Amino acid sequence: MALDAEDFTAFIDLCSTEFDYRITVYSPEIRKEMIWLDQDYEGMRALLEMVPQHLKRLGTLKRHVSVYIIDHDATAAIATVTSSFIVTHTDPDGVSQLFVAGTYYDEVDCRGDRYLLKRRRAHLETRDLGIGSHIPI
Amino acid sequence: MENSAGTRQTLPEMPDTHVVSGAVYTDKAIFEDEKRRVFGQCWHLACHESELGEAYDYRTFDYIGTPLIAIRGGDGVVRTFMNVCSHRGAKIIQEPSGNAKRLTCFYHLWSYDDRGNCVDIPRPEAYESSGLKKDDCGLFEVRTETHLGLVFINLDDKAPPVADYIGAALDPFADSLGSGELEVFHYNRAILHANWKAWQETNLDLYHEWMHVLLRRTQVGEGSMNTRVVKSFENGHTMGGGLKASYDKYKGMAARDPGMALPGLGPDDFFFVDLWPNAALLARGTAIRIDVVTPIDEKTMLVEWRGLGLKGDSADVRRTRMQHHNQYWGPFGRNVPEDAFAAEACELGFRHGAATRQLIAREEGGKGQDDGMLRAWYAEWARRMGRSPANPTNAIAPD
Ligand code: FES
Ligand SMILES: [Fe+2]
Repeated sequence: MALDAEDFTAFIDLCSTEFDYRITVYSPEIRKEMIWLDQDYEGMRALLEMVPQHLKRLGTLKRHVSVYIIDHDATAAIATVTSSFIVTHTDPDGVSQLFVAGTYYDEVDCRGDRYLLKRRRAHLETRDLGIGSHIPI
Repeated sequence: MENSAGTRQTLPEMPDTHVVSGAVYTDKAIFEDEKRRVFGQCWHLACHESELGEAYDYRTFDYIGTPLIAIRGGDGVVRTFMNVCSHRGAKIIQEPSGNAKRLTCFYHLWSYDDRGNCVDIPRPEAYESSGLKKDDCGLFEVRTETHLGLVFINLDDKAPPVADYIGAALDPFADSLGSGELEVFHYNRAILHANWKAWQETNLDLYHEWMHVLLRRTQVGEGSMNTRVVKSFENGHTMGGGLKASYDKYKGMAARDPGMALPGLGPDDFFFVDLWPNAALLARGTAIRIDVVTPIDEKTMLVEWRGLGLKGDSADVRRTRMQHHNQYWGPFGRNVPEDAFAAEACELGFRHGAATRQLIAREEGGKGQDDGMLRAWYAEWARRMGRSPANPTNAIAPD
């Protein structure tokens, strides 16, 4: 929701300082796994801080998430969450289109008084992203 | 439509070489001519040899509407065939890549070998009366040559060899691409809604680096305007070079480790070569990017991006190389999405004639942000097309 609203400070606030974020994609053309975005906490913070200065695609992205599996390891206070997502893009004229479909593999740190996102793998099914995006998925 | 006086720009007298009419992006007849005179005759960069690393590895792709398959034979030679069955014309192989000694059509199971020979026709007796033999049913072969590890195809049997066509243009990549140590680690493709030339122009237009925040921070330094050079080669190829990047000037990025530089490159080097008509090779010390654009129709294109690193990269080094590559050039990078935005925005200007022409008139003595690369590109376009880019619709040359 914070990313949808492009409230990057709020998003970073939900991430653990050990945050490990990757967008991964498999290419059947070269038969290899690829990492299209690879950031730690500081890297993600810097990247998001710079976004407003860039020439970026107009309109908004909206992430629709369905949680499939939650696995809670009470001793480690870590929950692993697998969710399916699609992201739609809505242009300034209000026309929405599917931008990308994929699966989140998340780890949530449940130790503190707030749950923090510790690890996110956004694995994409969609490989043609049109003009692409400055904003993570 | 009548415009009140003064609403249209008036240009000073300019040479034809400095102006490009909007019709080159929108006119259907010009596009049909490009398919014949440009894409039907020029060498096209189909893939990198590492994509066909082993015997019988294949890659399929479409080239101006023609399904093709490149396959490395048992003899190590890469050949390309039309990926269409001699029986009833079905596209034979659907997957983008694979490995197969026999290419078997799914429909009636005709099979072809790595030389394109038809080697099996089920129940062939029924063709005896008409005299049809499998020897007559091989796949149509397309000329294929490899240069510095790059696999090129040409639909024109009379075209000169690819090494002659390229000439000295790829010399700056001789040590890197020529090392035989590189492989493709990144492949990404996208349909963009603009004329195909608009993508090639993003790699020819030096002036537009102001659009990229990342380049403003890391590359448009004081001295760099004087040290950079634009070069033109025969057959319309061009090069921009002499640039150095200061990667640590952008928040969140770090200076490149010299130990990760590719063969023949310094860690901060940045230069690029545009191969006429539709490919660009860009070297940043630790990764190489290769763009190939092919038209789908006059207002839609397919762009393919490749990233290259060393075959022997450890997992850690590869991950860092991917990061370096994708910071600029991935679909979530800081540069390529901006270029794609620009290409589509220009299309919106030209599509219905709101923009009638573009200016490629910057002259800085071949340095700085000279438009010389764009002019050299359009000079070759004029030569091949028999049309002036400034006035393309009323100067149709005979074949
Ligand atoms: S169309 Fe290929 S075997 Fe019949
Ligand atoms: Fe650019």
